[in-house]
Amino acid sequence: MMELIAALLLLLFLSVGFAGAALVDGMLPAFLAGQSRPSWRRPIADAARLLQTQRIRTEAPDALLWFLAPVLYLALAIIGLAVIPFGPGLVTIPSEVGIVVWGSCEALTIVAVFMFGWSANAPLPLIGAYRYVAIALPAMLLSMFVLIGAALPAESLGFTEIVEAQRRVWNVVRQPAGLILFLMLGLAISLRGPFDYADPADLAGGTTADVSGPMVLAWKIARLTMLVSVSAVTATAFLGGYLGPLLPGFVWLLLKTALILVVLVGAGNFFARMPPARMMSVIWTMLLPLSFLMLLAVGVELLLWG
Amino acid sequence: MAVSVLSNWAGEAPVAVFVAIGEGMRDRLERLFNDARFVRAASPRHAAIFLIAGRMRLEDREDLRRLHDQMPHPRVTLLWNAEVGEALGDAEVFTGSTLEVDIEASEAGRSDDAVRDRLEKLWQELASGERSSEPDLLHDEPPNSWEGIGPHGQGGQGMMGGTPYGRPMAMTSDDLRDGLALDLYTARFGPFLPMFPPGLLLEMTLQGDVIQSVKVVRPPLSQAGGNDVPAALLRLARLLDVLGLPVLGQRARLAAVGGATSVPLEKLSRAIHWAGATLAIPRGLGAVEGYGDTRTRFANLVSVANGFSPAMWPGLTRSAHLSSILPGLEWSEAMLVLNSFDDETLSTLAAIVEGADEDRDGHDHDSGHMHHDHGGPHDHDRHQGHGGRGSHLGNDYHGRHGGHA
Repeated sequence: MMELIAALLLLLFLSVGFAGAALVDGMLPAFLAGQSRPSWRRPIADAARLLQTQRIRTEAPDALLWFLAPVLYLALAIIGLAVIPFGPGLVTIPSEVGIVVWGSCEALTIVAVFMFGWSANAPLPLIGAYRYVAIALPAMLLSMFVLIGAALPAESLGFTEIVEAQRRVWNVVRQPAGLILFLMLGLAISLRGPFDYADPADLAGGTTADVSGPMVLAWKIARLTMLVSVSAVTATAFLGGYLGPLLPGFVWLLLKTALILVVLVGAGNFFARMPPARMMSVIWTMLLPLSFLMLLAVGVELLLWG
Repeated sequence: MAVSVLSNWAGEAPVAVFVAIGEGMRDRLERLFNDARFVRAASPRHAAIFLIAGRMRLEDREDLRRLHDQMPHPRVTLLWNAEVGEALGDAEVFTGSTLEVDIEASEAGRSDDAVRDRLEKLWQELASGERSSEPDLLHDEPPNSWEGIGPHGQGGQGMMGGTPYGRPMAMTSDDLRDGLALDLYTARFGPFLPMFPPGLLLEMTLQGDVIQSVKVVRPPLSQAGGNDVPAALLRLARLLDVLGLPVLGQRARLAAVGGATSVPLEKLSRAIHWAGATLAIPRGLGAVEGYGDTRTRFANLVSVANGFSPAMWPGLTRSAHLSSILPGLEWSEAMLVLNSFDDETLSTLAAIVEGADEDRDGHDHDSGHMHHDHGGPHDHDRHQGHGGRGSHLGNDYHGRHGGHA
């Protein structure tokens, strides 16, 4: 029964979250770029245009994978969200290892993006796909260390326990740098700004360069849904998830997710993207050791004062 | 009913335009997109209108036709002062003065507005179905005949080698950078890739995203960019786009036009600073003797935008050329380097090297994986689609099966 309610809430969360993400993603960059009053109708109009555009077939594409890539990406976003609790005991897929489920969604996202770039059988999408694998792999390693740091105080890998363990103090206080590293993962997993190595302007759209019409729309929908999911996971792991006074837990989670989402969209437009080799060395030699240190710090803190 | 609701919404969408920029039109076109009603598509696949602006070379026409056919339906072409003969069939034509220096600035502004109105009208007609989509200009057939031996087109050792449909199969080879041997892939990129200088056509050999060799096939088309503040801002905007900062790029373009919507330049340069744009460019990248590296050229543009006078460069040494600067760089580094030069310097760097004429006839065997080309220089244009499969410009999809709407 609780699962059924949670599943309905999941649908509600997804639709509200997606609509919000589409609006924020459509309007915030336009506003930052100097338009005083960007139109809220624009994302819908864009979607209508893409739906009426022909779907192009390139020469000898891998048609099956091409079709499956956005589907897989979207599915991973939804599965990742399904292990997030909307209230005490209110979770669609109750799992004692929620972090592991989410971690596998992260890892498989690399596969989905690679499939998408591979299938067009063209050089620019393929370069985007290769590059993304190179950057996303260490980025996701990083996120797992950060998440383990969040799981240590709860002594559990389940998201419900992680939230309950934050009743005294939110994880963002315990490891603020962890939140920042996890936001970087959020940018990488939803292909944004400084971590968008798959679909950037310097590759004329990268994995989407040879995709048109409804396929572009499907890819955009999957990306935005993943943005919602990763924001919800961040809010759950660091901002206390559904915890909060007065309002129902579901609403609190939605509000916190919205906050993270705006931060992610903003950050995606604020920071420059390094060439991939430079980014790789930053991740492997600076950020990964940093995440080890933070894990160590949380462990020592719990040993001494836990 | 449902369809007409969809069409109504689609008509409200910003007009997605793919532009092929000809001689002297680049800066003007970039300012054209300062309007929220339009988006500049990164790829012909994302566009509904093909805008061809300015004079084109004879040899570019075939590429324009190919680009046209790469666009999804519904599509329409607008020629703006473009002299392309009958190459684009009976496309829409817009005439007005091209040369800003020849006419009053206000008149140029009026004519830009007229182009915008025309583009918007074309999109309205297209979205509502009043105007029918343009048919293909080229036949949907392979540009070269099947030349493979095996069932998958391989013509060499084992599963590899050979040139099915005139395109070389990728083969492993030594790598310049880290010794990780990957497949070599030779393709032509340009002349209308949005992140390339307009008109520049390069034949590059890549391993992964590392450039192994570069040959200039066609130099960039000359542009009227000077070294004044607006021109510097537009150059800066191009670099910001490549750095993944389209929002700041757009702000720089707005500032280049001036007017009420533009932000103060100090604010822009502070935002660029906080974005880490300078740090994102590796030190020493694309260094040219007497001309600094990409990072100093970028910093110089930022300071020009801030009202400082541009640094004086002592001039290029004779040996400097793209074919020696780009190899060894990753793709995104190469894009930064390409966009960091002013027009004059770039055209010197991208000059066609004497003695390379032989290569242009397709008799170049230095990499061992080059295409087979049986024709003379004229024949070559027809063949150039090989390899450039995704290069959005010289590439052919003649093997595609038409797709479905």
